[in-house]
Amino acid sequence: MATPAVARDTVFALRREIAKIEGRLAERLASPGDGAVVLRGSGRVLGAADRLATGVAALDATLGGGLPRAALTEVHSRQSRDAGAAAGFVLALASLLAKQAAPKQPGAKQPLLWIGTGGMFAETGFPYLHGIERLFGIAAGSLLFAEAPKPVDALWIAEEAAALKSLAAVILELPGDLRPLDLDATRRLHRRAVQAERPVFLLRHSSDPEPTAAPLRFVVAPAPAGPRRILGRPLAGSIGPPAFAVTLDKNRLAPPMRLVLEWNCDERIFEHRSSCREDGMQDPVALVPLSRHGTDMAAAARPLMAYGLLRFPAAGRQP
Amino acid sequence: MGLADARAMRPGIDVVEADPQADRRLLEALADWCDRYTPLVALDGGDGLFLDISGCCHLFGGEQALLEDMLRRFRDQGFDARAAIASSAGTAWAVARFHGSATVPGGTEAEWLAPLPPAALRLEPAVCTGLDSVGLRTVGAVQGAPRAPLARRFGKALILRLDQALGRIEEALSPRLAVPELSAERRLAEPIMTLEDVERVILLLAQSLQTSLERRDAGALALQLLLFRVDGAVTRLPLGLSSPTRAPERIARLFHERLDALGQTLDAGYGFDLVRLAVLTAGPLPARQEDLGEQAADTGEALSEFVDRVGARFGRAVMRRPVAVASHVPERAVAFLPFAPDGPVEATPASIPERPLRLLGRPEPVDVMAEVPDGPPLNFRWRRARYRIVNAEGPERIEPEWWRESLPVVAREENEEERTYEDRRKAAAARRLAQASRDYFTVEDAEGRRYWLYRQGLYGLSGQAPRWFLHGLFA
Repeated sequence: MATPAVARDTVFALRREIAKIEGRLAERLASPGDGAVVLRGSGRVLGAADRLATGVAALDATLGGGLPRAALTEVHSRQSRDAGAAAGFVLALASLLAKQAAPKQPGAKQPLLWIGTGGMFAETGFPYLHGIERLFGIAAGSLLFAEAPKPVDALWIAEEAAALKSLAAVILELPGDLRPLDLDATRRLHRRAVQAERPVFLLRHSSDPEPTAAPLRFVVAPAPAGPRRILGRPLAGSIGPPAFAVTLDKNRLAPPMRLVLEWNCDERIFEHRSSCREDGMQDPVALVPLSRHGTDMAAAARPLMAYGLLRFPAAGRQP
Repeated sequence: MGLADARAMRPGIDVVEADPQADRRLLEALADWCDRYTPLVALDGGDGLFLDISGCCHLFGGEQALLEDMLRRFRDQGFDARAAIASSAGTAWAVARFHGSATVPGGTEAEWLAPLPPAALRLEPAVCTGLDSVGLRTVGAVQGAPRAPLARRFGKALILRLDQALGRIEEALSPRLAVPELSAERRLAEPIMTLEDVERVILLLAQSLQTSLERRDAGALALQLLLFRVDGAVTRLPLGLSSPTRAPERIARLFHERLDALGQTLDAGYGFDLVRLAVLTAGPLPARQEDLGEQAADTGEALSEFVDRVGARFGRAVMRRPVAVASHVPERAVAFLPFAPDGPVEATPASIPERPLRLLGRPEPVDVMAEVPDGPPLNFRWRRARYRIVNAEGPERIEPEWWRESLPVVAREENEEERTYEDRRKAAAARRLAQASRDYFTVEDAEGRRYWLYRQGLYGLSGQAPRWFLHGLFA
């Protein structure tokens, strides 16, 4: 039996209304083939400009184009000793956010507010400016810290800050077991973030997955870093740029997934570990000129034996 | 009279230890309370207060009315006070202590002082006895005596005090508290007790301050709210702002946060009968043409207001912004300043060495096992957990800032040559530096966590075994 067109429209309108009330992040309404009609809490169509592309194709596809710019996003670490990795992942997202900042306000450099409690910072260490600046390019002028006396106070500050349009993003760092951070509190945070069109990152350490209003939850663990690259070649025994084992734990659009991301701190982009270049396989051309007046480095063994090696390479003799 | 004598005369006597500190605190509380009459209140020894009421009397219906009001209120609080009003501090002091509560009309100081004893001139006891022995038993007699011999015999202080009392020389009082730039107050016929009423009064006061601030092209940077309770207790609530403001609604909102955070600790008692809002510091705030369009919404203002609200609730130290400091010692390389909307942005040095993402406030000692004494560690124990190190980079040596530290003191031995003494001093300084120098290693454990460890002290040089610390976490 064919549904009359009017009835279908009514159903759509109702669904739209429900989505608006619930403040749901995204809901695919029409044909998934187009993938264009995505509705958000404010009732607007969510376009590419409202999403923060992570630059990793697999992750972006799962997220439906990227991280929502105006939402609460949870980032968990299983243990508080992973605080460095979880904070690094959030800062990497913030760095991407600053890079892809909306071109509407070119001059306005908005600060990033990091809210934590004194106890949290004492346990996991206070965010260190020089490390943040070097890895993620977030300068001192665009960082603000709030060190609340108690977790409840941190939550109060975060709720006030989430409603501000003059902050680039809010990072709220809290310990795992926290009673006041329930469904209501996270829903308030999420609503305010949606209205202010700014992301709020909820960074929680050593916590179990609890019901929250955040549409996305990442669980971040550290991954062994690859070696440092000098002139394109890996340097044995060195510790390269940070890597994160990211599990997308909660996502309305797709089942959970796990992937290892490497942060390229020169380009300031994420790289998928499996698609990283294999060690020493690229760029067979020498990157340095041959040395002047000195002997050449021994070349790798070739099938032919070398005769008449009295000739020096031409590069060495040039004036 | 000794305590034993007193007990013998009256066995049931109550003995209370003298507590000068508590007396002082009480006097300061009274000085606070006297703020309701004038902002210029100075302490006078351990038992008196000077109030400079120039220009304040008309607010209370004249000098006599002010005096009576003050004495009545003191009596209601249970104090036996004597007060005198005169055109010089010396005369007021003398009349209050040696005559009783009175108002001395201007120009009649000499007549009022004449019958009082010389002690009324705030003189040293020795001078008083000296004057007594030569028969000068009243201030009038001292006034009548020739000045030059008096000064020669009893010192210049006598003449100075006499002139001060008679108003011939100005005497400066040093008020206890800085005088606010502006203040507005409201006396309430009926004491208020609820926070809502207090907030309503604050809004009214802020509105009346707004006009004065506008006239000066200024905005408040530091405010103080004074709540005078009926029974004499005074509550002071300071409030700092990140940018000059004069908007009454904003000030009222900030005080709302402040009062809200105080909650139950603010004891209203029987109510407040005087509320005063004072501008302690003002900053320039020129009038600005408002834009009629929508883009007039200044986002920076919203941010600084948010910072102020957080500051009003939890203290201004909560919101901080980091600044780079020219120092190579990691913990000194970052300082924190209170947020300012357009504060100076210091340029960070161009080349930052690799640094961790999180720095522990105080480096935590770890137990380390290293293959080679000078080499990177193999495993370490931190917070009762063992970590096996897979990869390590380093060391990066960070020496202490010798220009900040004091050199060790080396005692000079007898018959020691200058050169050997210098050598010993240099060796001691080198040992001190070696003890404090650090070798930093970046290490990665089996699960991929990266830590910043350092070894403090050098083998062989520093005299004691080096110790290991964990200083930071990498991403």
